[in-house]
Amino acid sequence: MKINYNFSDFKIYFRDWIRTFRAKLTIVCLIGLILIPLTGNSYIIGIFNTFMIFTIFAASWDFLAGFVGQVSFGHAIFLGIAGYATAFTIKFLNFPWWLSLILGAVIAVLFGLIIGVPALRLKGPYLALGTLAMSLILYQVFLMNTLGNLWENTFPGTKLFGANGIGQIPPISQIPGISYIVIFLIMCISLIVLTHIGKSKLGTIFKSIRDDETGAKASGINTTKYKILAFMISGFFAGIAGGLYTIRLTGVNPGSFQALYSFYAIIMASIGGLATISGSALGAFFFVFLGEILRLLGDNPSISEFFGGFTEPIFIFSIILIIIIRFAEHGLLKPVLEHLQDIWDLLLGR
Amino acid sequence: MFADTFLSFIVFGTIQGSIFALLAMGFSLVYGVGGILNQAHGAFYVIAAYIFYACFAYIPQYGYLIGIIIALISTTLIGGLVYLILIKPLKESHVGVVIVTFAFAFFIEQFVGIAVDEIYHNMPYIITGYFTFFGVNIQYQYVIILVVALLLLGVISLIINKLKIGKSIRAVAQDAEAASLMGINVDRILAYTLMISAFLAGVAAILYVPVETVAPHIGWNVLLNSFAIVVLGGLGSLYGSVIGAFILAYSRSFTNYFIDPVFSALIPIIVIVIMLVLRPRGLFGKKEIK
Repeated sequence: MKINYNFSDFKIYFRDWIRTFRAKLTIVCLIGLILIPLTGNSYIIGIFNTFMIFTIFAASWDFLAGFVGQVSFGHAIFLGIAGYATAFTIKFLNFPWWLSLILGAVIAVLFGLIIGVPALRLKGPYLALGTLAMSLILYQVFLMNTLGNLWENTFPGTKLFGANGIGQIPPISQIPGISYIVIFLIMCISLIVLTHIGKSKLGTIFKSIRDDETGAKASGINTTKYKILAFMISGFFAGIAGGLYTIRLTGVNPGSFQALYSFYAIIMASIGGLATISGSALGAFFFVFLGEILRLLGDNPSISEFFGGFTEPIFIFSIILIIIIRFAEHGLLKPVLEHLQDIWDLLLGR
Repeated sequence: MFADTFLSFIVFGTIQGSIFALLAMGFSLVYGVGGILNQAHGAFYVIAAYIFYACFAYIPQYGYLIGIIIALISTTLIGGLVYLILIKPLKESHVGVVIVTFAFAFFIEQFVGIAVDEIYHNMPYIITGYFTFFGVNIQYQYVIILVVALLLLGVISLIINKLKIGKSIRAVAQDAEAASLMGINVDRILAYTLMISAFLAGVAAILYVPVETVAPHIGWNVLLNSFAIVVLGGLGSLYGSVIGAFILAYSRSFTNYFIDPVFSALIPIIVIVIMLVLRPRGLFGKKEIK
């Protein structure tokens, strides 16, 4: 498996890309994002941090499902295991945050391989349910304080952290603005790398597996190897997101393994539309802000009395996901972009 | 002492095995006939469990009986509706079906959590009382579970092997296109299959809820165990899923009593990984499943 990388290709691609409407819109959005810390409002900065971390997480899921056609229902595995690894190395081994992040992501990839290698050798639904099973079981395992008597006797001194998890992780920097910029840069790099893989030769191989696995096999592509590679790439970025999320929340607990977080990734990627990496950003934006609004509504006593708790964000989002998958399978990014371009053209009088 | 533990291991293994068999058979049937990976299988269990619980808690007299009837009828109907409204329009896209049923499972979990509450509930046995068998107390409830489960499994296999509708189901499982050319309404058969599967999950819930607890998230464990069993027995093989159910239940019960209760939660994933590595088509799976 040789991945030829030619930087001049990227330069040509970038020159063409910058002329499109999409590129201008992206740059406006990015500039807007950079300016957020200037508000100095820690609540708003916090929300935007969550949004950027979830963008990486959703993009990693979207990469796997959209480009390779492998649906994972346990992306929470990566979020949780990388979160634990990052928290553990920062707190108990005093690693710098960037080393912990990378280490966490690598450990996430290794854990993914335990289920990915057996499940990806086969066609069909094995990855979807295998990952879901893995995340449900890891949730139960990490809820425990110890791994039971047998484990304790075999490996004395090993402990899990129980329902409370690991807390009091220091932030990336004491200045919120610097943490914000670091997360911002990591998000940009992740999105660029994922988009670029999608457009490279490797991406073409991935798409051929998605569209016709038998055909890809007949053309001499070792589908298993490439599926596992894609799973590793996806797991790596999900692990990065997991580490950042842990640092952002200053702690990690077994809740990270819940099927809930896998559901978050799926809903964000589906809102944006499958196989559009930048769509994940739109999905994450929609998800985080609507979630925040719903939470505020739920806190308002008169409204929560009227709706009787049915403003619960996950409840609303499960309905939204059903509607989107049922009626707009290709997500919202493409129609939104088209309409924006129409409005832009109208304003310019074209 | 050892004999006691051994007998309890057998008893609980058998009880869990019959419940797992009901659950896994429905799951396997839906996958085998329609190729539909129903992530909402656990949701059917949750729906039945909560309707049963609500009727028991809020209807003073005959709550149990009314609960059983309403729970079974509504779960079966919801199974059919899930197929018609959610799965049928998305049948062409494999990813779509999986995601939409996953979302439905979440919808039910949240709905139940909001409409009732999120805490654990215990229910008394349908018939209280027990008899002692070699020093182990066996509740009448356990006997009911075993008898009802075995009866139902027999009835379902009779329906599939002998009746005309069973013939249509097998035809669709073999080749949906050819079946529709022979004048079989494939969509109706798939809806029936989902209804059977939901009905079985409902029965399992009603039988097992008094033994265990009711909580919104129990559906995920149902899905997890059903999947492990189906991988063990072979995707789409009904007898395989029944035998796989008992193997999984006995091994969980064995680790519970003789090794460490903590590890019994790990059994499903160990089973899944080992089977996928060694024998991906399962113990009794069809050869052509790759």
